[in-house]
Amino acid sequence: MSSNSALERTISKVLSQKEAELISKIDSAYQESLNNLEASRGKLEAERTRIVESARKQGENLKRQIVGSGRLAARNQELLIIESAVNNAFEEARKKLAASGGKDSYRELSSSIIEESVLSVGSDEVVIECNKNDSGLIRKILSDLQEKNPKVQAKVSDRSIDVLGGIKIKSADGTMTYDNTLDSRIERLKPLIRKNIAQMLRGEA
Amino acid sequence: MPETAGIEYTKVAEIKGPLMIIDGITKASFDELVEIETADGERRLGKVLEVGFGKAVVQVFEGTTGLTITGTKAKFLGKTMEMPVSQELLGRVFDGLGRPNDGLPDPIADKFLDVNGEPMNPERREYPTSFIQTGVSVIDGMLTLVRGQKLPIFSGSGMPHNILAAQIARQASVVGTKEDFAVVFGAIGVQYSEAQYFKRSLEESGALRRSVLFLNLADDPAIERIITPRVALTVAEYLAFDLGMHVLAILTDMTNYAEALREISAAREEVPGRKGYPGYLYTDLANNYERAGRIKGKNGSVTQVPILSMPADDITHPIPDLTGYITEGQIVLGRDLFRMGVYPPVNVLMSLSRLMKDGVGEGKTRSDHMEVGNQMYDAYSRAQEVRALAEIVGKAGLTGVDLKYLEVGDMFEQHFLKQAPDENRTLDETLGRAWEVLSTLPEGELTKIRDKHVKQYYKGK
Repeated sequence: MSSNSALERTISKVLSQKEAELISKIDSAYQESLNNLEASRGKLEAERTRIVESARKQGENLKRQIVGSGRLAARNQELLIIESAVNNAFEEARKKLAASGGKDSYRELSSSIIEESVLSVGSDEVVIECNKNDSGLIRKILSDLQEKNPKVQAKVSDRSIDVLGGIKIKSADGTMTYDNTLDSRIERLKPLIRKNIAQMLRGEA
Repeated sequence: MPETAGIEYTKVAEIKGPLMIIDGITKASFDELVEIETADGERRLGKVLEVGFGKAVVQVFEGTTGLTITGTKAKFLGKTMEMPVSQELLGRVFDGLGRPNDGLPDPIADKFLDVNGEPMNPERREYPTSFIQTGVSVIDGMLTLVRGQKLPIFSGSGMPHNILAAQIARQASVVGTKEDFAVVFGAIGVQYSEAQYFKRSLEESGALRRSVLFLNLADDPAIERIITPRVALTVAEYLAFDLGMHVLAILTDMTNYAEALREISAAREEVPGRKGYPGYLYTDLANNYERAGRIKGKNGSVTQVPILSMPADDITHPIPDLTGYITEGQIVLGRDLFRMGVYPPVNVLMSLSRLMKDGVGEGKTRSDHMEVGNQMYDAYSRAQEVRALAEIVGKAGLTGVDLKYLEVGDMFEQHFLKQAPDENRTLDETLGRAWEVLSTLPEGELTKIRDKHVKQYYKGK
């Protein structure tokens, strides 16, 4: 009986010792966990800030990219619309020019074009090409010019060219050509005229 | 337009390399633009190089392949080559001669400018003093780019200079002001994939709407490359001095430009200079590089970053050599760093921004900027010496301070220099990293930084 109680006391002592030990271990582990948690909180906070900051930057970049591309696409669309309107304006102008053949102003223009062209080529012996409709008019202007300046030896070619008006002038040996047709004059001045038309379309003129 | 504008000649005497000699010329001017029409109606552009004795020597930009003596016509246009300019150029892509390459129409021009530009009056030049942030630590921290500066990148074949150029183009900004900023990108003789990379990179970052791209591809005629930097710089000058924008002009690769110049020079049978380049290579390069700067009384600026690949990584080659005489410093990419996988592989010890001192510091960037930059140079230079010493005596033979410098060298390369091609660091971030590198050293080693800055930023023990 007494040996049993001694055994029980020993067991109880061991148990309470182990219990205290375990409780102390649990306490220290708990304390350690709290410390770890506290330390991690700072790291976590920094990591969270980094992730939020990086996402904010990404978001800003994405916004900039979407807004930028959108604005650019809209601007490009506007450019295409303006270009199409400018082309329409040129088409209309060409039609009007083609219909102005018989007018006095066209005769005056043709006369100044011929004088300018002869001067530009710098040769007195020249061959002139023009469209079928203008052939008579050009011959008339040339004979007037030759009356004024007999040195000019110009002849109108039998070959007609398909142009709105004006002339193409060649030196007699064919090595030098000056294209002074209305088509070519329009092409030369087109970049400048395009700006004026675009300004009108935008309401800036 | 002069009275002779538009006269067409058909008497082609000779075609030699990129040159065409036309006979029977009555009136033509030096540098006059010439439109060439081939026998089958194809049109090309050229310019007059020499006139006299009834002949004109014309340099054909698109090359003379396919041209014949008979049937080729040359129309002298009575003007020099011009670029139509307006604000609408922003967001557009052009080829190397300034023709639209993006499926959109020709720009509606405010005016037409001679691509050769007009020399800046030296008296009207303003000294560059304002910082441009590139978001690349090594450039912002140690080789600061200043508005109006010309700072070339010397690279080598296969190195990531184009990635760096695109990164600078995407990220460059003028910090703390509302002033407009634009990028003009002139790609000279680049591969198609590289050109697409530039374009896509600017598109994806939203930077295309403030950029103008001129793309001369590797398979485009070499002679076209003579014009590409000129049209790009003409647009840069217009945006800067007419519209008051701060413009960063990136030209890559100027070596291809010099090669084209050599080709023309050889065809003209000129006396060759070093490595066959013409004697006027210096003057020609200066004509382009000197188009950077600021003008008194005008808001804008043109900052140039020309990129050139050094043949065989030879910095004494005529192109980098002459470029170095003209520009205000250089950024040199190093093959060793590249092999180590460091991007951007900038060899800081061979690099320098001569105008940095005037563009950084109190009121411009941060008061410790210059000192930190100097200390970083000093520390990295010492680290390199210690590395060399360690190769001989081993780490065991090094002192404690030497070992710290070894650590600084590694940290400099991995923590400060190395960054992702899409990583845009603020200046504070850059200087913060620099201080982290420097804080590896004992405080006493920071001899180039004032005590007040050491107290404020030093993080070491």
